[in-house]
Amino acid sequence: MVDSIGPNQSNKHRSNYAVISGEEEGAAKEQERLLPIANVGRIMKQILPPNAKISKEAKETMQECVSEFISFVTGEASDKCHREKRKTVNGDDICWALGSLGFDDYSDSLKRYLIRYRETEGERLANQNKAAAAETETASSPLHFSFDLMDKRRI
Amino acid sequence: MRQPGAYSNLLSGGKTGPHSLPLARIKKIMKKSGEDVKMISGEAPIVFSKACELFIEELTKRAWAMTLQRKTRTMHKEDVAAAVMETDIFDFLVGLVSHTPNPSAPLES
Repeated sequence: MVDSIGPNQSNKHRSNYAVISGEEEGAAKEQERLLPIANVGRIMKQILPPNAKISKEAKETMQECVSEFISFVTGEASDKCHREKRKTVNGDDICWALGSLGFDDYSDSLKRYLIRYRETEGERLANQNKAAAAETETASSPLHFSFDLMDKRRI
Repeated sequence: MRQPGAYSNLLSGGKTGPHSLPLARIKKIMKKSGEDVKMISGEAPIVFSKACELFIEELTKRAWAMTLQRKTRTMHKEDVAAAVMETDIFDFLVGLVSHTPNPSAPLES
């Protein structure tokens, strides 16, 4: 960051003009590359016995590990897309990458998860498309529709 | 402060089951993983939210086994580190967990 105030001004004076300090900006960026500690902590807690305790540091370490996991798997999936000259990383690529990197158990249960998701998404989108198609059957009907409205307004 | 858990439940609409991890954040992390990662389909973060859950569950269970070896009920980061060391598929995490050693708590081998 360039100090445009003047050579004799102190850094303390400069921070009064900044929207956020360098420290706060660093902390915000840090949080962006991690999944929220509350969510991570909750998943950890759910798998452990009720009397288990988890230190804050352990949760923080887990946060870091998960982000690394996402990067690692995404990189593998992305390489595959690149080799196959595709631009978009999709769910199948993630499943494949997981299998390729040794996470076979995840890969199988996720494939089933993805199939279920696509079925329900497909239904949802099909219903949306049906509704949209009913309104705009041909190119001329939107115009037709708005003409009707205008006529009504004139009356 | 925003509650990510509630937000991701709203996003999912309950059809595919509530996502316990925020999809937008997952997408951000995916994008940061490399220059080549430009376009990500809508379903990819959803698959990841489930994959991350499975990952956290597995690493947590293994770390807990380390905690029990220390005859205590509080999991520390050293337990997570030890679990990483003894699991082949977690090799990619070795550098990450051995980054800042804690001098006050020796690693169990």
